[in-house]
Amino acid sequence: MTERRFLYRLSGYLFVLPYLMLFVTFLVVPVIYGLGLSFFRWEMLSPAPPKFIGADNYREALGDAYFRQALGATFRFAVTAVPLTIGLALLLALGLHALPDRHQSFFRAAFFLPTIITISVAGLLWRWFYNSEFGLFNAYLSKIGIKVPWLTQPGWAMFSIALMTLWWTAGGPMVVFLAGLKNIPAQYYEAAAIDGANAWNRFTYITLPLLKPVLLFVIVMNIIGAFQVFGQTYIITGGGPELSTRVLVQYIYETAFNNYRMGYAAAMSWLLFLLIAVFSFAQFRLMRER
Amino acid sequence: MQTIRRAILLALLVLGMLAFTGCGNSGARKVTLRYWNGFTGPDGRTMLRLVKRFNEANPDVYVLMQRMDWATYYNKLFVAGMGHRAPEVFVLQTHAIERFAQSHFVRTVDDLVSSPNGLAISDIDANIWDSVAVRGRHYGVPLDIWPMGMYYNRRLFREAGIVDARGEPQPPRTRQEFLDAARRLTRDTNGDGMPDQWGFVFTNFQSNVYTVMKQFGGEMFTPDNARSLLNSPQNVAALQLCVDLIGKYKVAPPPENFDAWIGFRQGKVGMAFEGIYMLADLQKQQDLDFAGAPVPVLGDRPATWAGSHNLCLRADLKGPQLQAAWRFIKFLSDNSLDWAAGGQVPVRKSLRNTPRFQSMAVQAQFARQIPYARYMPKMTFAFEFQTEFNNAVEKALRGSATPQQALDVATANLNRIIARQRALQMAGGRTQ
Repeated sequence: MTERRFLYRLSGYLFVLPYLMLFVTFLVVPVIYGLGLSFFRWEMLSPAPPKFIGADNYREALGDAYFRQALGATFRFAVTAVPLTIGLALLLALGLHALPDRHQSFFRAAFFLPTIITISVAGLLWRWFYNSEFGLFNAYLSKIGIKVPWLTQPGWAMFSIALMTLWWTAGGPMVVFLAGLKNIPAQYYEAAAIDGANAWNRFTYITLPLLKPVLLFVIVMNIIGAFQVFGQTYIITGGGPELSTRVLVQYIYETAFNNYRMGYAAAMSWLLFLLIAVFSFAQFRLMRER
Repeated sequence: MQTIRRAILLALLVLGMLAFTGCGNSGARKVTLRYWNGFTGPDGRTMLRLVKRFNEANPDVYVLMQRMDWATYYNKLFVAGMGHRAPEVFVLQTHAIERFAQSHFVRTVDDLVSSPNGLAISDIDANIWDSVAVRGRHYGVPLDIWPMGMYYNRRLFREAGIVDARGEPQPPRTRQEFLDAARRLTRDTNGDGMPDQWGFVFTNFQSNVYTVMKQFGGEMFTPDNARSLLNSPQNVAALQLCVDLIGKYKVAPPPENFDAWIGFRQGKVGMAFEGIYMLADLQKQQDLDFAGAPVPVLGDRPATWAGSHNLCLRADLKGPQLQAAWRFIKFLSDNSLDWAAGGQVPVRKSLRNTPRFQSMAVQAQFARQIPYARYMPKMTFAFEFQTEFNNAVEKALRGSATPQQALDVATANLNRIIARQRALQMAGGRTQ
């Protein structure tokens, strides 16, 4: 009996093993290696050998105006894109939930469609849409006498990126919300309706509380994703205008693979990791307490 | 699509290689040369044809070409070099020479060039040959040069009456002529009070402004690279002129983040300064009546931004491999006129003097600027320099800082980078 149980467990581990090996080789080891690297000065193109310099890389980051600028750009993206995406996804999910099943699947697929487009295609497409002289959006807007500097003014560029992200990614959370909504038993709504609750009451007292675990999951995943934003800005603006959309990941990428300053890039990556960890942790605590 | 195409291409290459090794087993052992470059556009197909011709004419050598886009290419080349797996022959753009030379996996070519089977250096313009030199030694053979030139829309020129005695469109040569032409080309065609046709457009901040700075006699660094001179009076005056084209003379639209080039292609812009590599783009467009000319002199001397592709060798090549690789480089250089058909200008003077090259109208016009072609400054922190340069220029052209302010900030940042770089060199001890 125990032998069978042992074999049963063993088979479980064996099934996990291939992934575990990949996980350790390509994630755990590099992450730890990166932590070590962040305490070294290592410029790959330089004849100088790597040298241990303690926390100097971290100190440099805190005093680096470009790091602060990139951090600011990342925050601006997160603050714009996350609430917009979650708000729209929730609205779409609520709307779809109210539709009959047959129509629902069509619209669900339609809204989800942009998500499966790769970022390079979506980015190039929107770069064209946004072109202020010759782009699609301004072609229509100019008919009513408006010309929006979508990507050409530092104040607008990040908003435009967030808007594109909204179109590109809202489908994912929407599907998750829709699944969450389907899990809420209809009896609750019926009972509430009998008690005289209006639509708003039903939403705030039944839908939101019961959707909370799903909501938490989506918000945390979205914030993590927002802090790691790279593809959209890199393809649509390249970080411009005036570096206003150069986000942290792009700055780290440029530091490592254009300037070959590996130690400094590793230190900034760890700062980004800590930031994401702190935010995610705070989110979980905040949502659990209520 | 691209990846599928690449995969098929790769599969074909592998098959081709197998076929080659399969039937070549009778003769002497073949030398295989890996040849990497970033020619992913139409230029890649031109290069592939040249490689094929070389392989056919040299049965004892097999060149295997691999291409990837430049950004990926440099990373991959760099990592391969670090791991002593660099390809035998590879292409470096001029701005990358110094940083790769510093990492010690590029072979100098001075001995090969002067060997009996060498190359006539007198056939290459001095400024081009100098561009591959780091501390007096040459790290590659320049294959081509792409000087920036002026493209102009002949139809708009005719409409604005900028023509010579025979009624042919006449490109401006001086600052006065340029401003005059730009003013006459800037027009409000639909009567809404705003210009919708422009005399000039900044399609590429870096190459355009760098050219004007060089025409004003500006330098980026002191000769020993110890200090940045980006905020010198010459550079500030040059940048001011560029800003004035937008704000004061109003002959260029406020900057676009991207694709101002499209405006030229759509026939809404009279003049643009761009590289020769844009030619193929324009030639595809049947309805655009354009021509090429040297960049007009906006400062007190002629100058224009340029770059080159250089053929480089792995540092540790020896014996038959080295000889085969050199033979291949010579072959490409000797046949660079065929390469030119893809839109580049050969660096060999003898080839440029042939009737065949002279009949390539735009290339021949752009090539006239070679004596005063100016490369980007050579240094190990090329990318950081470009970031600072571009950011300062962008700020000035957008009007969020004056030219003086923008260049002051960039200069301070560059001097900090130089200090960091120097400290590193002290730590490493320069190994030559």
